[in-house]
Order: sequence, then C-alpha cells, then structure tokens
Amino acid sequence: MLTVQNLTKKFSNGKGIFDVSFSVKKGEVFGFLGPNGAGKSTTIRHIMGFMKPDQGYVKVNGLDTWQKQGEVQKYIGYLPGEIAFIEGMTGKGFLDFMAELQGVRDLSKRNELIERLQFDINTPIRKMSKGMKQKVGIVAAFMHDPEVIILDEPTSGLDPLMQKVFIEIVLEEKAKGKTFLMSSHSFPEIERTCDRAAIIKDGIVIAVKDIHELQSMQRKLFEVTFNNKEDAKTFLNSSLQIDSYEGNRVRVAIQGNYDSFIEETAKYHVRNIAIFTQNLEDVFMNYYDRSGASK
Amino acid sequence: MNFSLYKQMMKVNMKGVMNYAVGAAFYIFLVVWIYPSMEKTAKPLNDMLNAMPAGMTKAFNLQNGFGSFESFISGEFYGLLFTLIVSIFCVMIPTQLMAKLVDQGSMAYLLSTPTTRGKVAFTQASVFLTGLFLISAITTACGILGVRIFIDANSFHADRFIQLNLAAFALFVALGGISFLVSSLSNDEKKAMGTSGMIIFGFYSLDIIGKISEKVDWLRDFTIFTLYKPAEVVNGKGDLLQNCIILFAVGLIAFIVSILVFRKRDLPL
Repeated sequence: MLTVQNLTKKFSNGKGIFDVSFSVKKGEVFGFLGPNGAGKSTTIRHIMGFMKPDQGYVKVNGLDTWQKQGEVQKYIGYLPGEIAFIEGMTGKGFLDFMAELQGVRDLSKRNELIERLQFDINTPIRKMSKGMKQKVGIVAAFMHDPEVIILDEPTSGLDPLMQKVFIEIVLEEKAKGKTFLMSSHSFPEIERTCDRAAIIKDGIVIAVKDIHELQSMQRKLFEVTFNNKEDAKTFLNSSLQIDSYEGNRVRVAIQGNYDSFIEETAKYHVRNIAIFTQNLEDVFMNYYDRSGASK
Repeated sequence: MNFSLYKQMMKVNMKGVMNYAVGAAFYIFLVVWIYPSMEKTAKPLNDMLNAMPAGMTKAFNLQNGFGSFESFISGEFYGLLFTLIVSIFCVMIPTQLMAKLVDQGSMAYLLSTPTTRGKVAFTQASVFLTGLFLISAITTACGILGVRIFIDANSFHADRFIQLNLAAFALFVALGGISFLVSSLSNDEKKAMGTSGMIIFGFYSLDIIGKISEKVDWLRDFTIFTLYKPAEVVNGKGDLLQNCIILFAVGLIAFIVSILVFRKRDLPL
C-alpha cells in the first residue's frame, strides 16, 4: 500500500536521509521511530510529495507521490507534526474548507469524530490550545475516510484520556483495513497500535522490527524500596542487573527477565515498587550501543 | 484554479484589500477636494515649480504643473501617493499568499488534499490580481465620483483619467508579479517580504535618482518604473499602449515562472 524504496535526499549541510526503504501492507499500522533530527519528518515530506527525492521513490497505492501530486492525495489523510492552520478561521470554518478541498460530502464521519474528541468547533483557531488544534488536525486527517493515514507525532498535546480515545480510533480504522504510518516519540502509543516499526537514526533506517521484538528490547527500571537496609544489601548480590542503590532503595534494570525479578524480590518485605519506563530515546541508545558493539 | 481555495483566500484577504482600497479612495477624494483651492493659486505655484531644478519636478512627476486637473492628479496622486500605497500592497499580499503559508506550514494542509501545486499557485495569483483589480477599480470610481462632486466636470477628460489608471494597473501587475515570484521561491516570510520590498523600492529609487540628475539618467534603464509615466499619459504623449503591454508581459511572465518553480520546488512543510 505504501512503499518507500531507496529514498535518498541529501541536504546542503550534509544531513538528510540515505537509502531509506520499507513498505507498509494494507491494514497494517507501521511505527516510525527515531530521535529528533533523525530524518522522520524528511521521510514523511517525501511520502506527502512535498520534496523531490534525489534517488528512489515513494509509492502510495501504486502511485509515485512526487509525480502524481494531486491524484495520490485522494488516498491519503495527513496530520502534520507542526499544526498550522490558515489564520482567521474557526475550527468549523477550517474543517468545512478542508472538506470542500477533499471533496467530502458526507459529514457523518466528521461529526462522529468531533463528538468523540470532544471539542468546541466554533472556537477561533488562534484561541485554541495545542491539544485542541491537534484534535482539529486529527479530524481533518480522518474525515474523508482515506485509505492511508500519515500521522506525524499524533498524540502530542493530547491529555492521557484523549490519547486513549485516539488509540481507539486508530485501532477501529485499522480493523476496517486502513493503513497507517505513524511517527512517534511515545513508546506506549506505538506499542498499543503498531504491528511493526522502523527505527531511523542519522538518516539511516537501522532496523525494521516486529513490535514484540521491540518490546523485548525495551529496558525498564524498577525502584524497589525494602523494609530494611539489610534486605537491600542482600538483594544487591542477586543475579539481577543493579542500576543504582541508596539506603533501602534499589534500582534494578529489567529487560525481558521479569520472572527472575519477581522471584528475587518476593524473598523480602517490600514497601514500594515504582517503575521508570525507559523513554524511546534510551531504548534507541541502548539498541545503537549494542549494534555498535556487535560490529 | 481551485474555487474553494479562491473563495477562502478572498475571505481571509478581503479585509486587507479593502483597507488599501479605502485608503487609496480616501486620498483621491482628498486630492480632488483640494484641487479647486489649488487652482486659484496655480500661477504662483507653477512659478515656484519653474524655479525648482527640472530634475526635482520630474522626479516627483510634477513637470506638468498644477494648471489642469489631470496634470494635478497625475503629479500629486498617481505620481506619488497611489504608487507608494499600492506598491506596499504589491509587497505585502503576494508574500502572505505564498511564502507565509509555506513558512507557517499551513501550505501542508492545502497540498495534502487532491489539488496540485500548480492549481494552488494559480489560485493564489488570482487572489492577488482580484485584490489589485478591486483597488484600482474602486480608486478609479472614487476619482470620477470626486470630480463630479467637487469640480466642474466640463474640463475633465475622463478617457485620460481612465488611461492613467490603466497605466498604474499595468505597473502594479508587473510589480506584484515580481513580488509573487520572490514569494513562491521563499520558505521564509520575512525574507520574502524583505527581498521583494528591496527590489520594488530599489526600482522606485533608481527611477527617482535617474530623473533628478541627468548624469545618472542611465539608471532608469534598470527599472520598470520608467515605463510608468503618469505625466505623459494625461498629456496624451508617450507610448501608453506599448508601455502597458511590456508591463503586463513582465507581470504575466513572472506569474507563470512563479507557478512553474513552485511546482518543482522542495517544500519544508
């Protein structure tokens, strides 16, 4: 449904994307992960046909996105990473305008989305908060019922409840056979929706992985507070990887070995366990380190 | 042409267009209104103009003196005020129609819908030309109306007056085209505005400096303002048709090139 083939674009400052290739099947949700400046947005700009590739191509539904501008957009819904609307409009004015441009007649989908995301469409855009603009953008990306939906950092600015609603919407559309490409910093969001994900760094795709594989790569830190210091001391001698400790608090790094962690902690009286999910940046760094070391 | 976009852009920019139109209309009323009182003192004023260096009077298009209404309005209004007001419009609006949308990122929304870049650029150019036409039409109409109200209409050459407006419109199409081209090439709104402002007011300055001093008359070969001669138009001298055709051609080429480059350009959206 969406194919990126040998996509290369070099900017004058030497940065860019190099030989990026991946493909997304129909009905698949594909995550696109990477630190800031890694080339996520540049790749998305090529998918949207905003930039001309130096080499390679992007095809959506078999149509080259650079050459078939204006035609390929019929199949695409797009949520930009930085939301900027035309000035001097209300949310409703903007959505009406987009519906006209998209050629949407049936507004039932739009009204349903507005209902679910709960926002007042009559607010002037310049008075909207970041989250509210994001909601308007999400409606604009979904309302014409496109085959392929490109989402650049979709949940930024949304509160946790709305993030959940958004994930539900994505999963429903996925069940209907819609194809997604979603760039994100948020691992939970990718975890809950994506089937596969590509990791990009410095313009190079370093891995395209099944989401379960990525999950097992994720390292989590648990901070265990023991009832007394002696327990903490003995706990340090276990086979678990200790990140740091102080008094009766110990930080343990767990990567897939949850069983042994539970067995080990169950031996003592535990007052509290707190979890520090590693952010994606750290997952990457971890991954890069390992791939760097294995070379 | 994308009519939804055209409609929307007209709505967004109408207020700006009307501000310029009302401003220009107000000034022309004012200039027409004070003319009868100037006419009475025309002789001493003309003597004063004659006493000034020829370059100065030419630079500000005052070489016709204040003897007749057309020469007065060509010098006072079309030679200076109107040119400045609408030149500013020719810098501002094309910048807002293209570079600003790219700079802000809202162009991404337009291009994510099934419309082509060519159509978007063409539509935006049409919005500018519609605005410019409105300003010119309103100013012309208010000028004629003003003459009916304040001045004895018998001595008024309406045909010359309309030619004068046509010449000004041709100049602004050319200026707007250049500014639109700069805007289509820019990713940065401020830079686009700065560049087209420099080009247009650079042209204007070259024309004035070239007129003031005979020695640097050659400077006027490098500016399109040379093709706009309000003083000659009202006298029926000069080659109005040829000048207008060249100015319209400059504008047309600039708009076509704008659309072509915008279609092939990388956009950082």
